[in-house]
Amino acid sequence: MSIRRYLVLILLSIITLVTFLAAIQGYKASMSQANDLFDEQLQIIGKTLLATSATYNKSALESSASNATVIPSDHIAYQLFNNETLLLRTNNAPQMLLTDLPSGFTDLNFLGQRWRVFIETTKEQLPQKRVLVAQPLEQRFSLAQDVILSAVTPIILVIPVIALFIFMAIRQALKPLTVLRRELSGKKINDLSKLSSVTSTKELQPVIHTLNLLFERLSSAFTRERHFASDAAHELRTPLSVLKINVHNLQMTQSKKLDNDGQVSLMQLGQSVDRMAHVVDQILTLNRTNPDQLIMAVTQLELQALLQQVISDLYPEIMKHQHEISLESQVSTIYANEFALLTLVKNLIGNACKYTPNGGKILVKTQVNEQSFTLIVEDSGPGIKQSEYDRVFDRFYRVGGDSHQSTVVGCGLGLAIVQHIVKLHQGKITLAKSTQLNGLKVLVTFPQKAQYSNMKLNQREQKQEDNT
Amino acid sequence: MRILLVEDDMPLALGLQQSLRHEGFVVNHVDNGNAAISALAVIDQDLVILDLGLPDIDGLEILKRTRDRKLDIPVIILTARDSLEDKIKGLDFGADDYLVKPFEISELLARLRVIERRLGTAESALIICSQVVIDTTAHKIFIEEDELKASKKEYMVLKALMENAGRIQSREQIESRLYEWGEEVASNAVEVHIHNLRKKLPDHFIKTVRGVGYTVNKT
Repeated sequence: MSIRRYLVLILLSIITLVTFLAAIQGYKASMSQANDLFDEQLQIIGKTLLATSATYNKSALESSASNATVIPSDHIAYQLFNNETLLLRTNNAPQMLLTDLPSGFTDLNFLGQRWRVFIETTKEQLPQKRVLVAQPLEQRFSLAQDVILSAVTPIILVIPVIALFIFMAIRQALKPLTVLRRELSGKKINDLSKLSSVTSTKELQPVIHTLNLLFERLSSAFTRERHFASDAAHELRTPLSVLKINVHNLQMTQSKKLDNDGQVSLMQLGQSVDRMAHVVDQILTLNRTNPDQLIMAVTQLELQALLQQVISDLYPEIMKHQHEISLESQVSTIYANEFALLTLVKNLIGNACKYTPNGGKILVKTQVNEQSFTLIVEDSGPGIKQSEYDRVFDRFYRVGGDSHQSTVVGCGLGLAIVQHIVKLHQGKITLAKSTQLNGLKVLVTFPQKAQYSNMKLNQREQKQEDNT
Repeated sequence: MRILLVEDDMPLALGLQQSLRHEGFVVNHVDNGNAAISALAVIDQDLVILDLGLPDIDGLEILKRTRDRKLDIPVIILTARDSLEDKIKGLDFGADDYLVKPFEISELLARLRVIERRLGTAESALIICSQVVIDTTAHKIFIEEDELKASKKEYMVLKALMENAGRIQSREQIESRLYEWGEEVASNAVEVHIHNLRKKLPDHFIKTVRGVGYTVNKT
């Protein structure tokens, strides 16, 4: 959940809750005050009626009870009795005495309504006079409610306005955070440059500062690692060249003077130097194609020409094994990194060449459609057991474990490198049995997107967490 | 052929000198950039083998200065830098070839010979692959002493293949050799010439690598 959403929701909830509690409290207090006020009114009316009762005495005494004066009234009802004789009543009050209760306030039901009734009796003088003043409770409530609601409503109506202001205020306050979030999520995985966000927010300054320090350290660490790789390359390649040249010179000038053992030793020396050169080369390639630390430019490549080039480069090796190689492809343009794709093809064909017994067949095929291009390398070699399909991609793993063909120069890095490259291009690699040549069949599928041009690898689209 | 070897690593330079002298080349060795530049200015050289990682001046800079002075002496770059950008840069600056350490001596020698023949300084103008021989000065083809009659274009095709024996020449590469003659090349010209050559040459002398090109075995 985003901070902004959390703050807005929690603040609004609190404000709404507190406002409603206050409104309820106000409603209750106002209601009780209104009650007191209405009771006081009833009391005054009762007392006034009693005080003026003398006026009605005469006529009431002279006539029968049914001659009581009737006053029209909509709301307040009252009865005035003189010794059980009704002197005066409103048209909404019955003729009979409502209740025998003594003086005071009480709630009663009559005429299908509930009423608040005030009863007052004169005791000291005779004839005893009794007055009952009643008001419908419903009316009291509706009057009181009208007053209270008109006071509380504006408070409730103002909540959305408050919400809007709170939302705007929070958004403004969190703006530096949003800017930072945008910059960070827009950052490429390998972009270790400093953050450009400048903030005056006290809380964010140390965050940006620390992040920048980290980026700087990481970047220099990566640079060191890259330099280490190229330095190591140089430092190892030159002495390897010296070894190779001297082995060559020995073979050219001295081998005739050596006995059988000496010649075998010289040959072993030459093979070991080649093997070492191969391992150094593969380790450096593995390092260089590591998806974690590399940005490679994607360019438009001619797939067929590239395959022809690799086969030509490897041809001396293929001839040494007397393999028959063929290429089935058509002219097609693909988007990939040249070095990576060259390395991939070289490793796949190189493997087919190495692990297929002499005089075998190697078939290189391509299938291109709008969505993807697939490179297929098949050979007539022994293939790989299905149970080993996953393991062959592990670094330094070799088929058959320690009992692999020790005559074959290799270090178990070839397919690990291939997998790096496949991952870089967001492709897929599958191993299968070749139905055509009975050996191993390697399928590499790369997605083919036109918008890949001018893009860098490893700049995968980042998932936008834009749920604010 | 006189070769100027520019290499700062002494053991490598010594080994290389030994191999090259054994092959009959005359080698002058310098171990830094400044010496290389003055050697190029004074001494008459046929070819330069240039290491890029020199202690004083970068090899590419030497190459650039040499080309700036309109010297078209062939240059083979020898380097531990194997990135594609380095290679492209080297060739853009006018290098004739580019070898990445650790290289096969035979590869270096093969490339030296191609340049040697181009310069016409080769002691032997013969290219020999098993019983087939090309005399590059007389522009003639022999099969075990017997001269083989071939058209100019067929000769060019066979020469391209035999110069690069053991390597594949694509149809495009052979075509470009024919274009050098400044004539229109029909789309199936290479196939036709190869077909005609095969009729005259020993069986399986020119091999087809399906989908890639043609090749001739070294021996």
